[in-house]
Amino acid sequence: MRELAILRRNHLYAFCMVVFPVLVTVFFTSMLNEGLPTEMPLGVVDLDNTSMTRSLTHRLDAFQMSHVVARYPSVAEARRAIQRNEIYGFMYLPKGTTDELLANRQPKISFYYTYTTMAAGALVMKDMKTVSTLGSAALGQATMRAKGMTDEQIQTLLQPIRVDLHQIANPWTSYNIYLTTMMVPGIIMLFIFLISAYSLGTEIKFDTGKQLMEMAGNNILVAIVGKFLVQTLIFLAIIFAYEYYVFIVLGFPHLGSPWMLVLLGLIQVLSAQGFGIFAFGLMPSLRMSLSICSLWAVLSISMVGSAYPVMGMDSALQSLSWLFPLRHYFMIYQICIFNGFPLIDAWFHFAALVAFLLLPWFVLKKIKNAMLTYVYIP
Amino acid sequence: MSIFRNLNEGLHDICFIWWREMKLMARDEGVIIFFLVVPIVYPLLYSWIYNNETVHEVPVAVVDDSHSSLSRQFIRMCDASADVRVAYYAQDMDEAQSLVSRQLVKGVYHIPSDFDLNINRMQQATVSVYCDMALMLTYKAIFQTAQLVTMDMGTEIKTKLAGRYTKQEELIASKPLAFDEVPIFNPSGGYGSSILPGVLMLILQQTLVLGIGLAAGTAREQNRYGQLVPMSKHYHGVSRIVAGKALAYFMVYAVMGAWLLLAVPRLFHFPQLAQWTSLLAVALPYVLACIFFGMTVSCLVRYRENVMLLMVFVSVPLLFMTGLSWPQSNIPGVWQGISWLFPSTFGVRAYVRLNSMGASLADVLFEYRILWIQAGAYFLLAYLVYSFQINQAHKRIKQEYQEMKERVEQRKKHTQA
Repeated sequence: MRELAILRRNHLYAFCMVVFPVLVTVFFTSMLNEGLPTEMPLGVVDLDNTSMTRSLTHRLDAFQMSHVVARYPSVAEARRAIQRNEIYGFMYLPKGTTDELLANRQPKISFYYTYTTMAAGALVMKDMKTVSTLGSAALGQATMRAKGMTDEQIQTLLQPIRVDLHQIANPWTSYNIYLTTMMVPGIIMLFIFLISAYSLGTEIKFDTGKQLMEMAGNNILVAIVGKFLVQTLIFLAIIFAYEYYVFIVLGFPHLGSPWMLVLLGLIQVLSAQGFGIFAFGLMPSLRMSLSICSLWAVLSISMVGSAYPVMGMDSALQSLSWLFPLRHYFMIYQICIFNGFPLIDAWFHFAALVAFLLLPWFVLKKIKNAMLTYVYIP
Repeated sequence: MSIFRNLNEGLHDICFIWWREMKLMARDEGVIIFFLVVPIVYPLLYSWIYNNETVHEVPVAVVDDSHSSLSRQFIRMCDASADVRVAYYAQDMDEAQSLVSRQLVKGVYHIPSDFDLNINRMQQATVSVYCDMALMLTYKAIFQTAQLVTMDMGTEIKTKLAGRYTKQEELIASKPLAFDEVPIFNPSGGYGSSILPGVLMLILQQTLVLGIGLAAGTAREQNRYGQLVPMSKHYHGVSRIVAGKALAYFMVYAVMGAWLLLAVPRLFHFPQLAQWTSLLAVALPYVLACIFFGMTVSCLVRYRENVMLLMVFVSVPLLFMTGLSWPQSNIPGVWQGISWLFPSTFGVRAYVRLNSMGASLADVLFEYRILWIQAGAYFLLAYLVYSFQINQAHKRIKQEYQEMKERVEQRKKHTQA
């Protein structure tokens, strides 16, 4: 009951526990709403300017992700347009392309794209490559048809082996699905870290630690459980609301059972609180523990290895990634929910999260000591 | 004469405040963490994480139902490619799936039993690729390798099937229109080179704001009345206070900025194409805008630690709003608008284009101007909030003084009575 009053008195709690997580969820889901970026600006440097090259340009424009916004008189000019951030790439059709194509002399066209924005560069490249291959195929098709081949034969000749792609669980290659499901839990975890350390630290700062211990009958375990019960419930509500919104309302893929989601939410909140309390126990000072928690949490968003996979990092970093609760959360999510495999395949990560939950056990004594004797030094 | 004296006095006050602020900074461990330790250590850590740039040798499993020389050729060519490593041969799809579920492989190549039959019958053959979509980069590696290998094998088969007369004719027939793909500005397509310059700029802003917020919080807590601005003869005149404090932060960040923007990219071999003049021209308004932004924010928080709770979590959305990982042209308008409030949005964009793309100052003129406007606007805002704070402090002290006076008078009356 005392906790409820504290939570209500300090507006910060309301913001960090409810408003900001909701805001972050809305931010990511609305920002990445398209799933894949569409209609990205592209340029064309067409020095040939024949009906063939123009139809190539039109075809490029018709692609879902590309949008030809400008034509430039030279490569240098188009390069400057990239530097001015007007386009992400351009296609260069040198003079005489059509002539050489008709004369069977294998002309060469080029496309340039910038990789400083990874997603845009890769997607634009894909479109330009497809259009070039198609352009080449269309021409081959015409000659083969003239020779009297059947469509099936032509198709075989153009592409003897076809790749049949199965994108399990995310057939749209949607960025929303794979970024939101990591970023939002990561940031909620950040808040849990911070709030756990903050609420313990403020007890010392405002000199209410002794009062807390008295209420708990001088038993630190009771004090901590009592203190965090309310927060746990609120965070659980937030996590479940996020999961409901993302997986049920927005229909993100979840091949695992709904109970898995509940379990994952529960272990996520508890292990993050465990880490927050542990960090405070290590250094019972408000500012140090908060600094550690925030730095650790921000780092974990990189170490989780969802944008840049952990297997690509140095081996020392690969082992270090075990120290981040978010990493284990992500692995369980990926194995049990995204792909729907049984929990036994992620047992190690589950055990690791339980270990994080038990971490405060080591520092209980220190926290008790801090609560009773420490004086806040600004 | 009085103008000169005013100026002289003002300069003295600025220097005094600068000196005091420097001393405060050096004494406060929280501030030191954010002003020194984080800007030095974090870039190194991030660079280390992303140092390998791309993923190589992604493990995959192969289910070969064809058992022919062609299917074996396919497997060999995949294994030989830079991005994929054939880690397991599975008997059937169930076994392959269990390998995926245990995270031993990231994808499965399935070669159906009629693979070589179809090719020799002049029919289209298929290779099925199953990808674990949880990681974008491994998916890209697995899929693109399969595509490349099938295209290579396809060209070989095509030339055999078509039966042409000369080598040259074969070449042209298989590919009438040749093309070159040229990734410019980040030729290796590395993840680190694309994302890190932005992260460096963002670290600069976030540590500045956090540090200033912490310093302000400390000042407030140490003050007797919980006011931000101490009462002293040097602390009259808002512009002097703001200028003095800004000078102190600026000095620290002149050094830190050089470390972040010049030394770290050089250490880790990120693209560095900027001219130092244009880099300086962008960095100056950016640091100023960040300082005044930080001072404005610092006035809004009551306890020193609260600024951490506020500022830390915004870093990730801020990085997204710069348009580095999600193309700027596809950010919804609302968020574009909100992103205008933060110096980092324009600072990152300008820096990335100068540094990674080798643009000139003229190319980033728009961002450059906005940064100056932001610096000016946040200076005014900082000025306003500080003068508000000072007014409050004055009021408080006057009130206290009056109360004291009354008390003294009452006591006087008391003794007289």
